[in-house]
Amino acid sequence: MDNLLKSEWYKLRKDRSFWVLILFLLAFAVLYPLTLQSGEGVNGNDYYRGYILSINNEIVRLLPAILAGFFIASEYSMGTMKSIASSGNSRIRIYFAKLTVFSIGSIIILLILPIFMMGASAIYKGFNAMPEWTFYLQSIGLIAIYAAAFASIMALFSTLLTDSGKAIGFLLLFFSLIGGLLEYLSAKVAFLEPFITNSIFMSFETIITIDQIGHWNSDDVFTFVVVPLLTFLVFGFLGSFIFRKQEIK
Amino acid sequence: MNKYVLKSNRLSKKYHNNMALNKVNVSIKKGSIYGFIGQNGAGKSTLIRVVCGLAYPTTGTIELFGKNSEQELIEARKRIGTIIEGPALYPNMTAFENLEAHRLLKGIPGKECIEKNLTLVGLQNTGKKKAKNFSLGMKQRLGLAIALLGDPEFLILDEPINGLDPMGVVEIRELLKKLNQEYGITILISSHILSELHLLATHYGIIHEGELLEQLSATELNEKCQQYLHIKVDNPDKAATVIERRFTTQNFEVMPDGSIKLFAFVDVPGEISKVLTNEGLVIEQFMPMGEDLETYYTHLIGGVKRG
Ligand SMILES: Nc1ncnc2c1ncn2[C@@H]1O[C@H](COP(=O)(O)OP(=O)(O)O)[C@@H](O)[C@H]1O
Ligand SMILES: [Mg+2]
Repeated sequence: MDNLLKSEWYKLRKDRSFWVLILFLLAFAVLYPLTLQSGEGVNGNDYYRGYILSINNEIVRLLPAILAGFFIASEYSMGTMKSIASSGNSRIRIYFAKLTVFSIGSIIILLILPIFMMGASAIYKGFNAMPEWTFYLQSIGLIAIYAAAFASIMALFSTLLTDSGKAIGFLLLFFSLIGGLLEYLSAKVAFLEPFITNSIFMSFETIITIDQIGHWNSDDVFTFVVVPLLTFLVFGFLGSFIFRKQEIK
Repeated sequence: MNKYVLKSNRLSKKYHNNMALNKVNVSIKKGSIYGFIGQNGAGKSTLIRVVCGLAYPTTGTIELFGKNSEQELIEARKRIGTIIEGPALYPNMTAFENLEAHRLLKGIPGKECIEKNLTLVGLQNTGKKKAKNFSLGMKQRLGLAIALLGDPEFLILDEPINGLDPMGVVEIRELLKKLNQEYGITILISSHILSELHLLATHYGIIHEGELLEQLSATELNEKCQQYLHIKVDNPDKAATVIERRFTTQNFEVMPDGSIKLFAFVDVPGEISKVLTNEGLVIEQFMPMGEDLETYYTHLIGGVKRG
């Protein structure tokens, strides 16, 4: 593995906020199903979509923001970005190593509920029907793709703001408001409507309700796979461009 | 083989309307310890940040190990170890973990270098203690251990002894001397106090308000700051003979106006005047002269000594 990726991976494994988030989500995954009313004979498919994915959807854009603040922005305030940037590696490689490992961290965080809450619930409740495997795996894949796309946006703003507090605050605000703002905008400005509907901020809500992969049409592939991947790349290159020009204090 | 590790060529950096660096030409010879002196805000860190690729010049260029293209400079920075404006540490990591993160970053094979560097700076026994619980001196030393990873040929230290206690200053100074003498590492070390680097630096660059006022060797600086007795007597030739014979020294100069500059025995002016009088010479003027380092520095930057 590349030296920069190794170093970032090492730091992610040592990152306190990362472990706090993981432990918090694991505790939630194991405990929360106990508090849900639905008793024996629940349909696992409905349960997975209705509870687990919809809860996960709420945190997708929020919890990784905390990791972004500690894992990316704080490198500036700790002064360690100076050592990284003067280490004899190009800025582009540095940025993409950081983004790659941060994306992996985000994906890990966002897969805890779908995997562990589902597992715990299945043990507690003994569903009468398990969710379709294809849908389950598809949702895991989509969550990973979207997590990376959101991570790319978060990495860009963390790089711009260079302070963990500011980055977390801004990202939480941004991701809480962006959905509503875009909806408002698409209602007002007609020609923006298709762009907004296909943007990851909107389409992400739909991954709970979409069909299984066998029933997808080409528009679905575009909206749920191509657009998130493009978002990852576009924000990745924008961010690396900003980082390349940035003076580091 | 390139004689210079670092050269800057009319390097300027402008922030808004402020010239943080103004056509600066520094040249740092391989094997030297370059003391980079300037008051707070003089432009020391700015130059260092440009050298390390953290800031970009407005005009002018730099040359590291003889390389000056953007791509070559990035490669050349692999041969540098740095501490820029305070040690850069991961506060929740131990000393070992901090070094491990940087070892991976620099792609250095094998973990042996970690223990080696920790021992070198005297931090081998910090165990599980996190860097945030280190004293300032320990943090500085950990920063140095990190900077020394990968056996750099050039060490850039921006005010590394700022805020250290006197013992810590001595320790770091000795360590740097050793690194320079035993391993041949070239060192750029900045400070806002000239005398702090006395006894360490082999060369000095003095920067003030973004301009490099002077660049000189330690020997040249000592000559400029040399103390002497200014002696004027009725018979300079006789005085010269007397000094030479009685004090067995030739470390003096007879100036064109007949006055004598005596560079030896500066600390016992009474002895000198007594001997001269006993030899029947009439002393017209007699006073110790010369500047100490700080006075020299203060005169150079044209400021008023504070405090
Ligand atoms: N990022 C920056 N933005 C604006 N001005 C700066 C910046 N960095 C440094 N300066 C200014 O440049 C001058 C030199 O600063 P610096 O190189 O840090 O001085 P030193 O390290 O010698 O104390 C100062 O006037 C400082 O205010
Ligand atoms: Mg400084």
